[in-house]
Amino acid sequence: MEQRLTKNFKVKDSHRLEVSRAQGGYQSLAKLFQMKPEEVINQVKEAGLRGRGGAGFAAGLKWSFIPKNSGKPVYLTVNADESEPGTFKDRYILELDPHLLIEGIIAACYAIGAHVSYVYIRGEFYFPMQRLQAAIEEAYQAGLLGKNILNSGFDLEVYIHRGAGAYICGEETALLESIEGKRGHPRLKPPYPAIVGLFGCPTIINNVETIASVPYIIQNGVQAYRAVGTQKSPGTKLFCVSGHVVRPGNYERPLGYPLKNLIFEDCGGIRGGKKLKAVIPGGSSTPILDANDVETVLLDYESMEAHGSMLGSGGVIVLDDTTNMVDALGNLARFYAHESCGQCSPCREGTGWAAKILDRMLSGEGRPKDLELLRSIADNMAGKTICVLADSLSMPIWSYMKKFRGEFEAYANPNH
Amino acid sequence: MFEFTSENLAEFQKILQRYSIKRAALLPALWLVQKQTGFISREAMLYVAGLLDVAPAKVYEVVTFYTMFHQKPVGEYHIQVCRTLSCQLLGSPSITEHLKKRLGIGLGEITTDGRFSLVEVECLGSCGTGPMFQVNDEYHENLTIEKVDKILEELK
Amino acid sequence: MPTLTIDGIQVTVEPGTTLIEAAKQVGKSVPHFCYHKKLSIAGNCRMCLVEVEKMNKPVVSCQVTAAEGMVVKTDSEKVKNLRKNVLEFILINHPIDCPVCDQAGECKLQEYYMDHSIADSQMTEAKVHKPKRVDLGPLVVLDDERCVLCSRCIRFCDEITKTGELCFVNRGDHQTLTTFPGMKLDNLYSLNTVDICPVGALTNKDFRFACRVWFLKETPSICTGCATGCNITINHYDDKIYRYLPRENEAVNQCWLCDEGRLSYKFVNDSSRLLRPKAKTNGQASFVAPTVAMEVLVSQVEKTKPQDIVLVGSALESNENNLALKKLADLLGVTHLYYSARIVPNPSHDDFLIKADKNPNRAGVEKLGFKPLLGAAPIHSKVCIILGGLSEAEQKALQPKASGHWVMLASNEGPDTQAADLIFPTATFAEQEGTFTNFQGRVQPFAKAFEPKGDTRPASQWIEELAVRLGFCHCEASQLLRSGSG
Repeated sequence: MEQRLTKNFKVKDSHRLEVSRAQGGYQSLAKLFQMKPEEVINQVKEAGLRGRGGAGFAAGLKWSFIPKNSGKPVYLTVNADESEPGTFKDRYILELDPHLLIEGIIAACYAIGAHVSYVYIRGEFYFPMQRLQAAIEEAYQAGLLGKNILNSGFDLEVYIHRGAGAYICGEETALLESIEGKRGHPRLKPPYPAIVGLFGCPTIINNVETIASVPYIIQNGVQAYRAVGTQKSPGTKLFCVSGHVVRPGNYERPLGYPLKNLIFEDCGGIRGGKKLKAVIPGGSSTPILDANDVETVLLDYESMEAHGSMLGSGGVIVLDDTTNMVDALGNLARFYAHESCGQCSPCREGTGWAAKILDRMLSGEGRPKDLELLRSIADNMAGKTICVLADSLSMPIWSYMKKFRGEFEAYANPNH
Repeated sequence: MFEFTSENLAEFQKILQRYSIKRAALLPALWLVQKQTGFISREAMLYVAGLLDVAPAKVYEVVTFYTMFHQKPVGEYHIQVCRTLSCQLLGSPSITEHLKKRLGIGLGEITTDGRFSLVEVECLGSCGTGPMFQVNDEYHENLTIEKVDKILEELK
Repeated sequence: MPTLTIDGIQVTVEPGTTLIEAAKQVGKSVPHFCYHKKLSIAGNCRMCLVEVEKMNKPVVSCQVTAAEGMVVKTDSEKVKNLRKNVLEFILINHPIDCPVCDQAGECKLQEYYMDHSIADSQMTEAKVHKPKRVDLGPLVVLDDERCVLCSRCIRFCDEITKTGELCFVNRGDHQTLTTFPGMKLDNLYSLNTVDICPVGALTNKDFRFACRVWFLKETPSICTGCATGCNITINHYDDKIYRYLPRENEAVNQCWLCDEGRLSYKFVNDSSRLLRPKAKTNGQASFVAPTVAMEVLVSQVEKTKPQDIVLVGSALESNENNLALKKLADLLGVTHLYYSARIVPNPSHDDFLIKADKNPNRAGVEKLGFKPLLGAAPIHSKVCIILGGLSEAEQKALQPKASGHWVMLASNEGPDTQAADLIFPTATFAEQEGTFTNFQGRVQPFAKAFEPKGDTRPASQWIEELAVRLGFCHCEASQLLRSGSG
């Protein structure tokens, strides 16, 4: 299969402009500037590109929500706050092909009429940030950013905004708060950022991979983009495989690709000759799949949903048959408790409470009522808060306890 | 008293130009403070509040929200071990235990010579190359006990 | 104007009305902690969740606005259950120290718990511990463990006073309310944070542990701290004032009250209160019976020509008491009418509620025709009847002849009363009803909280008795005196 997002990853010095250009980088701009912004939006819509950050919202549709002639500046904010456990794809785009991202930023900004773009990078990604910063500087020097890009009459400034350690800032409105110099507390919606976003202005927030997917669509057109993937989930996606596999790493595959092939062929199967027990398919918040599910599930939005899970961010965590599921859930509960912003009562209190119960169970102090209690905490948090962080713990609680009930029961009845 | 070095002040002025509201320069300003002194003191928060025309509490609430901002000095080498699921599956707890033993400190502590501090952190986005830790801004991936020892040796 | 149905009742509301406000219009109070109509919408407590038909998730009624045809349920079993579950979360780390909490009896957490839950806590793990008895500011104490993190107080300081002293630190269940290290919650309105705190996290140092709230009686009144005339409720028990709370009046004080005004009640309870008349003989003041004091006054007035009598009203006293004095002047033919006012050095003032004029009724007394005593040419008189108190400067302006007689109708002993030959103890505004006219010209009534103590009575009653004793017919006197507030 033709690599679209990762084609330069193995090219030496792929992060440098001259190498990028030699590989065809920035060629889409010639086409871009011949199109009208609405045409760009339509092309992305027709290509069926869906947001790669986790929610899978149609990117072109999102862009079309920007009000025409609001009289306010429009912003593009690129979400490079990659923090969902199991996800490490955007980092490689930033490190290995930052110019692909910049090319995508130019196209997206042109489409929505933005002249300023902020790339919000999680604070821990220092090296990727340096790579992107250097690439931005190269692009400015080459006239690919700044005033009158390639004599198109289009102006664009791109700035990096560095986060400082907060998972929640990957939530798009928390991200905006963070750029505005505040705590990363997600905003109430509506209004949505496309209407009232950064500094009160219309703003589009897209994930790094989403933006990096745009140049291919501009350059090669809708049909080429849709040549791989499924009808409803066209194109390719990066899948980050971690956990108990022989060859973990990033794999660009067409949507609709069998998860089984990814794990057993591409990643070389389970390490140490162990057996597959379960897979978290789309980042730590997505419902877990057992070995049976893995036999049939495909890596696309629809098949994942049919199997009771979600494609999410593409962070595939593979667990072998030695994995203690109560321990795994406890680990994630501590994560979400640590990362809850503290704003909404159910999430603030529920994530911490769930983590404490799981810790107690793991220490051998489980009680029969704990399972019912965990379930009720998950039920009472989910869908009751401003953002979905609480749901992100509820989904693992429900699915782990459902699929691996016996293990949880053993911990809840330590004396039996 | 805290104030930016002239170099950092110039950098700060440059940063201000990127945003249409002053307060948006808060995180970048705090990063500059931390670059200058290694942590963010009370005096530095007051200084930044003054630069950005916000109440000091609005700086304090931000410093305490983001885990990478330090209110106290950390070690010269601040070791942050990823403890989240993918790394845990591949043995991050044994890496942490080994570091504790080798450095003779617990989590959140600094060695007496001030060279090393050790903490556990949540997912660093390096799940495919776990277990891993970050020393200051640098990632060290695919760790083994031997590799950890070698890194510590080089840092000493 | 959207029409919607709330709990089966149809209502048409202004566009943009939130569901919580729309529910109020049909008499439904939706439980909430973080919502406050004068502050920005935070939507964080999640207590005001309601069901809306055709919406797949419960919505927070403080944020969602009414739309045409909406069908809203605020008290279905499902909604009650949602609230019960939110309460469970809020209570797991709460200390449940109601017996020693000052908020007990007026705590939203207590009330909602009684309404919705009454279940034992299912949490057996250690609670998160946070700072207690934090000296947050000169007037406010914070118990962080009781705080439900609704952020009302933070928004108040950000949006109303714009002083921004308060903030949250840390995250998740370690999120904590505080100030910048070494700084205090110290603004002119800090005690409003205590009012709007729905629980016992912020308490008023002046009121802390003074009285359990269920003993307190409520009387609508007007703050006498300055010319704004903020509407207040006096909380009192056993003839003692315990605190003022702001009473809503959109045109005057909205729902706020400044700290200075709020603490201005103390003179009512003070040990300096005059409870019996006093008369001076040979320079020595001693208590006398009311009848004796009145006889002295009557004989003084009877033997003095109207042009040698001066009557001094007060910008601190009600329209009714000043009017009584004015009518007395009319009956006697006295033309020297002045008024005293409270002048403080460097008075606090701002462009919100606090006026530099620290008198609740200057507009009222001036409208009655009294002239300011301060700045007037030296006035010579043989008898001077003074309502309220006098400043040192005013005393100087009012030089009686050596033989002159100085009569005061005052509520509290002070440097001014030392100089008086005759003192009649008066009721304060808390012990009578009446009106004050504020700086906007609004005539605002206040009610009697409790009965006057000892021999004290409203000044108007002393004046009325004087008129009767001087031979004016009782009904003439009383009708004149009660003919209105001007």
